[in-house]
Amino acid sequence: MFAKLKKKIAEEAAVAPRPAGAARIPRSVSKESITSVGADSGDDFASDGSSSREDLSSQLFRRNEQIRKLEVKLSASMRKFQEQNEAHQASRAKMAEGMALALEKKDKEKKMLQTQLQEMREQSLNLFQKRDEIDELEGFQQQEIAKVKHMLLKKEESLSRTEQELEACAQELTQAKAELQEARSESSSLRKDLQDLQQQLLELQAQRDELMTAETNAENKITALELREQELQTVIQQLSVDLQNITFEFAEKNKLTEQLQEKVSSLEKKLERNLSGDEHVQELLKEKAAVEQRLEESRQQVLTDRTQHSEAVSRLESQVSGLSHNLSIISGLQNEMSSREAVSVEIAKALEETRKQREELQQQVSHLNALMKEKDQLLDEKCDLLLKQKEELNQLSQELEESTRALNNEHFPSPENSVVEQNGEVAAADVTQLQKDNRELEQQIAEKNKMIKQLQQRMTELKKTLQKELKIRPDSEVPELREKANSEVPNASVTVTNNSDLNDSREINFEYLKHVVLKFMSCRESEAFHLIKAVSVLLNFSQEEENMLKETLEYKMSWFGSKPSPKGSIRPSISSPRTLWP
Amino acid sequence: MRILILGLDGAGKTTILYRLQVGEVVTTIPTIGFNVETVTYKNLKFQVWDLGGQTSIRPYWRCYYSNTDAVIYVVDSCDRDRIGTSKSELVAMLEEEELKKAILVVFANKQDMEQAMTPTEMANALGLPALKDRKWQIFKTSATKGTGLDEAMEWLVEALKSRQ
Repeated sequence: MFAKLKKKIAEEAAVAPRPAGAARIPRSVSKESITSVGADSGDDFASDGSSSREDLSSQLFRRNEQIRKLEVKLSASMRKFQEQNEAHQASRAKMAEGMALALEKKDKEKKMLQTQLQEMREQSLNLFQKRDEIDELEGFQQQEIAKVKHMLLKKEESLSRTEQELEACAQELTQAKAELQEARSESSSLRKDLQDLQQQLLELQAQRDELMTAETNAENKITALELREQELQTVIQQLSVDLQNITFEFAEKNKLTEQLQEKVSSLEKKLERNLSGDEHVQELLKEKAAVEQRLEESRQQVLTDRTQHSEAVSRLESQVSGLSHNLSIISGLQNEMSSREAVSVEIAKALEETRKQREELQQQVSHLNALMKEKDQLLDEKCDLLLKQKEELNQLSQELEESTRALNNEHFPSPENSVVEQNGEVAAADVTQLQKDNRELEQQIAEKNKMIKQLQQRMTELKKTLQKELKIRPDSEVPELREKANSEVPNASVTVTNNSDLNDSREINFEYLKHVVLKFMSCRESEAFHLIKAVSVLLNFSQEEENMLKETLEYKMSWFGSKPSPKGSIRPSISSPRTLWP
Repeated sequence: MRILILGLDGAGKTTILYRLQVGEVVTTIPTIGFNVETVTYKNLKFQVWDLGGQTSIRPYWRCYYSNTDAVIYVVDSCDRDRIGTSKSELVAMLEEEELKKAILVVFANKQDMEQAMTPTEMANALGLPALKDRKWQIFKTSATKGTGLDEAMEWLVEALKSRQ
């Protein structure tokens, strides 16, 4: 509509300004005028074709004049026509102008509106994107918060655990310290005892040494005395031997004196008988007296000897008795000594025991010390761990705060900022409100998580039951393939493990079946023959069915032969497969 | 003549089939099913079956074993992780009674890639030297570059001819 109008306006605008210059009228603008002019002059040209050049030029001149006249006429008529049309044109132009103006306005408006629309669209797109982003961000933040919270909870748990452990350790430590104190006091008392005992021991040893020296002295004395005793005994023995000899001699001398007395008596008898030999008798008597004197002397000597002997013996006996007395004293001393020794041995034993006890105690003390050290180390480690965890906790709480802050900021970016600028309290209120909201949301999340867990449990149960049910089915699905106990057999291994895999493999199997059947139905018979096996396996055909397929295909491929009669398996409604068609 | 192209998924079986048939590299998608084409080489016509190699449909390979003259076993020379799987599949396949007389050609494919296994390395990894009563050969090939396929097919043709 507008285009046509525009075109017309343009045409008229092009024609209107030069009504006189008709010769220069562009062809494209007004074909009609040219053709009309040409048509007028065309006949003249044709009639004067054979005249000379001057005639031609004069003719041309005339013709031109004619043309001019005609043009003047034409212009007049055109003017008339124009005048006639002017009103119409003016009105039209006005209308057109009005229209054009309106159109321009509309166009502008349209453009404006379009640009606005574009902007709005962009804005809306941006808005949508932003909304999506915000949603995503919120999701992330919630996840993040949940994670952080979870971590925080875990950390708190571990912290409380470690604190408990620490407390237990501290208790143990105090206990151990108390024990140590006791042990130390005990050990100190024991040390004192030990020192006392050692002193006692030293004293006893000194005593013992003294006694030992005394003993050795006494022993020396004893040995000397024994030696003297032996000597005395030998002397006594000699003396007794001498005494025996003397008594023997005495007896002999007594015999001799008896013999001499007999001789004297015999001689006296002889003398009595022989009085004649007085002198001789006298001499004999003298001799006799001398002999008697000598006898007397010898008797006296013997007596003195005897007395001497007895004296010596008595003296020796007294000496022996003195020695025996000495001996008894010595033996008493020895007894005492032995008892002292026994006492000292006992003391030594006691000392040894105390030493052992001391060593044990020292060992205990060292053990307790080692234990203390271990405990200290453990305590230090625990303290370090605690510190670390506290730091982590702080970090986490900081992170949480930051994230919550970030969340708050991102949740309400423009309003909060403006509010903060305007009023801090309101912002704080907002923040608390947001935190409350946050908590509620977290609670909601926790509830949702619980629900998710429950649902997951239900799903696993359902999966299990599904798997149980499915376990029964694959047995009949690919019986031939299952003959091989191969791990690559698809259904057997896959059905048990995963549902999605099962679906995958089933999908693939179905896809495979579809492809094979499609090929089987579309390909050449020679190729189809090779596909019978695959089709039979995929569709779980019986051997009979497979054979029937083969026979049918062979029949199709051969030029002769009879069509094989279909066997029972393709007539599911007839019970006995052996009955033939009528 | 009936030839099977077997091998794990992504080894390049389909690419090899069409490289043999039309001499061009075609864009392929994982084969769920099979492709069968008639390939003429040195005036010999082969019915070449390229069977999908995905784990779940590998067990169906044995449905195609009967009346097979040769097996082209394609292995990805860069897939060192699954060479064991490839070996066990190959071993299981060669144990089949229906393939007792089939000739085995192993294509150590994707030789254009860096870090590709050498044919000897692969032959050892697949346990080929231990094979008994089996005519086999290994060739290094690149289906995308078209190298090694001619030598392999020439050997296969000669082997099939000498067997007849």
